[in-house]
Amino acid sequence: MSFFREFFGGRRERSAETAKKRLMMVLVDDRYKLTPELIEQMKVELAEVLSRYLPHVDADQIEVSLLHEDDNDRLHAQIPLKRGQQGDV
Amino acid sequence: MARAITITSGKGGVGKTTTTANLGTALAMRGARVAVIDADIGLRNLDVVMGLENRIVYDIVDVVEGRCRLRQALIKDKRLPELCLLPAAQTRDKDAVSPDQMIDLLAQLRSDFDFVLIDSPAGIEGGFRNAIAGADEVVIVTTPEVSAVRDADRIVGLVEAAEKGTPRLIVNRIKPRLVSRGEMLSVEDVLELLAIDLLGIVPDDETIVTSTNRGEAAVYDQTSLAGRAFLNIGRRLNGETVPFLDLTDQPGVLDRFLGMFGRRRS
Ligand SMILES: Nc1ncnc2c1ncn2[C@@H]1O[C@H](COP(=O)(O)OP(=O)(O)OP(=O)(O)O)[C@@H](O)[C@H]1O
Ligand SMILES: [Mg+2]
Repeated sequence: MSFFREFFGGRRERSAETAKKRLMMVLVDDRYKLTPELIEQMKVELAEVLSRYLPHVDADQIEVSLLHEDDNDRLHAQIPLKRGQQGDV
Repeated sequence: MARAITITSGKGGVGKTTTTANLGTALAMRGARVAVIDADIGLRNLDVVMGLENRIVYDIVDVVEGRCRLRQALIKDKRLPELCLLPAAQTRDKDAVSPDQMIDLLAQLRSDFDFVLIDSPAGIEGGFRNAIAGADEVVIVTTPEVSAVRDADRIVGLVEAAEKGTPRLIVNRIKPRLVSRGEMLSVEDVLELLAIDLLGIVPDDETIVTSTNRGEAAVYDQTSLAGRAFLNIGRRLNGETVPFLDLTDQPGVLDRFLGMFGRRRS
């Protein structure tokens, strides 16, 4: 794909931009050392806590990622909610 | 009472020794009493960069092992009487000096100097720990490269864990031409990634090679852009507010001429 794009006159990303993106990923990994096992465990515990407040939070549906944006590292969590039937909390 | 400032990096070869020699000289040129310590034991280097290799009699290990007094091991600079070097041992290994001994040594130096600059070895092991043991402040040197920035980030964490405050950053070997073409990380990129304060920007500069060949600091060379950058950093260490050098690439006449033919000098 990218080969063809380049070949047919598309521009390749500048290497500084690539370096910066790679570093953003590497640095958050280095800084927080979250192994996949720890992330799974975090999801289970997140679901546990959130289930006290919200109906049907499913650990398997949670997605967490570490991001570096504007000088800040953040933990980004996507937690889909199911509408609970009324009275079913 | 001297401020003890450690110059360190993580990745090797990014310019710690060059920085220590030039900042020591820059500060002494402005009248400060400065001691520079080569803490890279086993890989003595600061003496040759400063052109003092022929004057060494004793070294830091001789001092801590009691073979001489500190005063005897301090070598006076050729030009600046207020600048002294405490050389590393060349034949010993990295743990010939302990962190406690380093702290003792600094305690002895503090009363006689305004600044003590410590040239740290690369890495995150014993030598690095010794070098920051007695420091009041830490300066991290990096080049704008992925591996150097990554290792610098590691060091920021270790320095903070050692309760030395947040280190300040020198970005060395910037090539303005490459940065403006988007082919080298800019200082802004590096700062955004590391999220620490900037102390200085030093361009990649051939005069560093020639001045190192001669054993004279680049800050003596009026034509050296890197030398000017180091002079500015010295003033900032002294608490002055000095604007950062404008290194943005301004193409010269020749470049514009070549540009008409679609070529660029690199
Ligand atoms: N701004 C610069 N422009 C050009 N060359 C430079 C610059 N800074 C450093 N160098 C060169 O890079 C090389 C490594 O520099 P230096 O010895 O200061 O690094 P270091 O971090 O002390 O290395 P080590 O980790 O081995 O102790 C030297 O040859 C030096 O002359
Ligand atoms: Mg060195």
